[in-house]
Amino acid sequence: MSRVWRIETVVLVLVGLLLAVATVNDLGREVGINHRLVADLSTWRHYTGHHYLNISIDQETLGADSQREVLCGNTSAAPPGARTQICLGIWGPVVDGLRTVHGGWYLPPYHPDIPANRYGCFGVAGQGRCPR
Amino acid sequence: MSVAAQSERGLAQVRIQRWAPALATLLALVLVAAAVEIVLDGAAGLSPLIPKSPEIAGWLRGIGERLGFRVFLIALLASTAAYGGLVVLVRRSSIARPSTGAISKRWAIALVAALQLIVFAGPILLSTDVFSYIAYARMGVEHGLNPYLHGPVAIVSDPVFPYVGEDWVHVATAYGPLYTLLSYPLAPLGVVGALWGMKLEALLASAGTLALTWRCARARGFDPVAALLIVGANPLYVIYGLGGAHNDLIMMLAMMAAVSLTVAGTPSARREAGAAAWVVAGALIKATVAVLLPFMIVSKRRLAPILGALAAIAVGAIVGYAVFGIHGIDLVAALNRDAAFVSTDSFATELAHLVGKPGVFPIDHDLLKGALVLIIVHLLWRTWRGYDWVAASGWALLAISVTSTWLLAWYILWPLPLAVVTRDRRLLAATLVVQLLFIIHQISPLLAPVR
Repeated sequence: MSRVWRIETVVLVLVGLLLAVATVNDLGREVGINHRLVADLSTWRHYTGHHYLNISIDQETLGADSQREVLCGNTSAAPPGARTQICLGIWGPVVDGLRTVHGGWYLPPYHPDIPANRYGCFGVAGQGRCPR
Repeated sequence: MSVAAQSERGLAQVRIQRWAPALATLLALVLVAAAVEIVLDGAAGLSPLIPKSPEIAGWLRGIGERLGFRVFLIALLASTAAYGGLVVLVRRSSIARPSTGAISKRWAIALVAALQLIVFAGPILLSTDVFSYIAYARMGVEHGLNPYLHGPVAIVSDPVFPYVGEDWVHVATAYGPLYTLLSYPLAPLGVVGALWGMKLEALLASAGTLALTWRCARARGFDPVAALLIVGANPLYVIYGLGGAHNDLIMMLAMMAAVSLTVAGTPSARREAGAAAWVVAGALIKATVAVLLPFMIVSKRRLAPILGALAAIAVGAIVGYAVFGIHGIDLVAALNRDAAFVSTDSFATELAHLVGKPGVFPIDHDLLKGALVLIIVHLLWRTWRGYDWVAASGWALLAISVTSTWLLAWYILWPLPLAVVTRDRRLLAATLVVQLLFIIHQISPLLAPVR
C-alpha cells in the first residue's frame, strides 16, 4: 500500500470522526430544543387552560439562543389567529414537563406579533414591549 | 496463512453459504415491510412527511394510519439496519463466491423490483420537488413562460401552484435544459397525469441505473448481485430518491451510461466520445454530474472524450439557447445561486453548531468551496497517476455533497452506483457512513418526549 493511500485513509478516518461528532452533537442539540419546546407548549396550555393545537412559537423576540420563547395562541376556540391572541414569555428549566411563565401581552385577531400590535403587557417578559 | 487459519476461514465461508439465503430472506422481509408501512401510512394523508398533493394513491387510503414521525423513523431505522445486514451478507458471500455470490440473481432482482414498485404505487414522499418540476413544465408549455426567468409564483392560478413548496415559489428552475425539455411532454397531462409521468420517469431511470450498475459490476469482475442490492435496496435510494420522484435518478442514469461505455465492451475512441457525451447529457439534466468529465479526460488522455464532450455541449447549448435563451444554458449562475442555500441537515451546519456558531456564514461558504477545490485537485492528480477515474468521480461527488451547505438525502445517493463498481472499498464505506450519519441526524423526533 502506498504512502499516499495511507495518508488518505488517515485523513478520511479523521474527517469521518469529525462528522460523526458533529452529527451526534447536533442531534443532542435538536433533542434538547424539542424537549424545551414540548415543555413550552404544555406550559402555555397549563397557564391558559386551553388545550389548543395551533400555538405559534417564536425563538427570536426574547433573544436568539437565549432559550427564551414567546408562545402565542387564541384566547378562545377558533381557527389560528382568528381571536384575540395571548402571548406568553416562557423560560427557565423544565420541571415536571413545564417551564415558568414570566409575563406576556395580547394581540388583536389576525395581527402578527410586532411591537405596534401588542397591548396589555404584563410581567417581566412584557416590560417595555407595549407601545403605550 | 496457516493451515488452521485457512480451514477456519473455509468453515466460516461454508456457514455463510448455509445461512445466507435464510438470513437474506429475513432482512428482505424487514425492508419490504418498512416500505409497505411508509407507503400505506403515507397514503392516509395529513402527514407532515407527505407533501400536499393531489390524491394519487387513494386506493391505498384506509389501510394505514396517518404517517407520523415516530412510525416513519422506526421504519427508516429498521430498513437501515436490514440494509446494513444485507450489505455485510452480500459482501461476505461475494468474497466466498466471487463470481455469483450466495444470493441468487432472481431473488435479488425480485427484492429490488418489489421495493421500487411498492414506492412507485404510493404517494409522493418527503419532498415537494416533483411539483416544482411540473410547475416549470407547465410554465413553458401551458403559459408560454420561460422557467429559467420566473418562479412558479408566475402561474398562481395554475392547478399545480398550491402544491409547490413555499420556499421555491419565487425560484426559477436550476435544472438543465435537457431535463426541462424532457418534462415538457408531461405538462399537458394535467397535474395528476404529470405526477404519474414524473413517477414513471423516476422508476424507469432507476431501473436503467440499476441495469447499468449491474453491467459495470460484471464487466469489472465484481458480483453484480451485490452491486444491485447495495444500490437498489438502499433506503435513501428507495424512500427518499424514488419516493420523491427526484430527477437525480435521471442524472444518475446518464452517469452510469457514461461509465458503462468506458468499462464494458471493447475500448474505442467512439465509446469514449459517447461516454463524455453522456456525462454532458447528465449535466444538462442536473449540473453536478459534470464533475465526472475532467476525471474521464485526465484518465483517458485522448482526444475522443474531449471531442465527444464538446460536440454534446455544442448541441446542448444550441438547443438550450434556442428554446430558453441565454438563461437556459447559464448553469453556473444556477449553481452559484443554489450553493448559497443552507439546510439544517448539512454537515456544514452541524460543524458550525459544534464550534458554537448559530449557523453557516458567508466565510464558511468560501472555506468549503476552497476545501472542495483542494479535494478535486488532489483527485485529479491521483487520476493522472493512474487511480481509477470512476472511483475519483465517486469521491468528487461525495465531497460535493459533504461540503455543500444545502444537503438533501438524494444528494448522498450520487456516488453510490460508482462506489459499487470500483476496487477502492473505501469509497463505498465512506458513502454508507455519510448516509448513516444523515439518517442518525433525522431521528431527533424519536427522542422527543411524547406529548
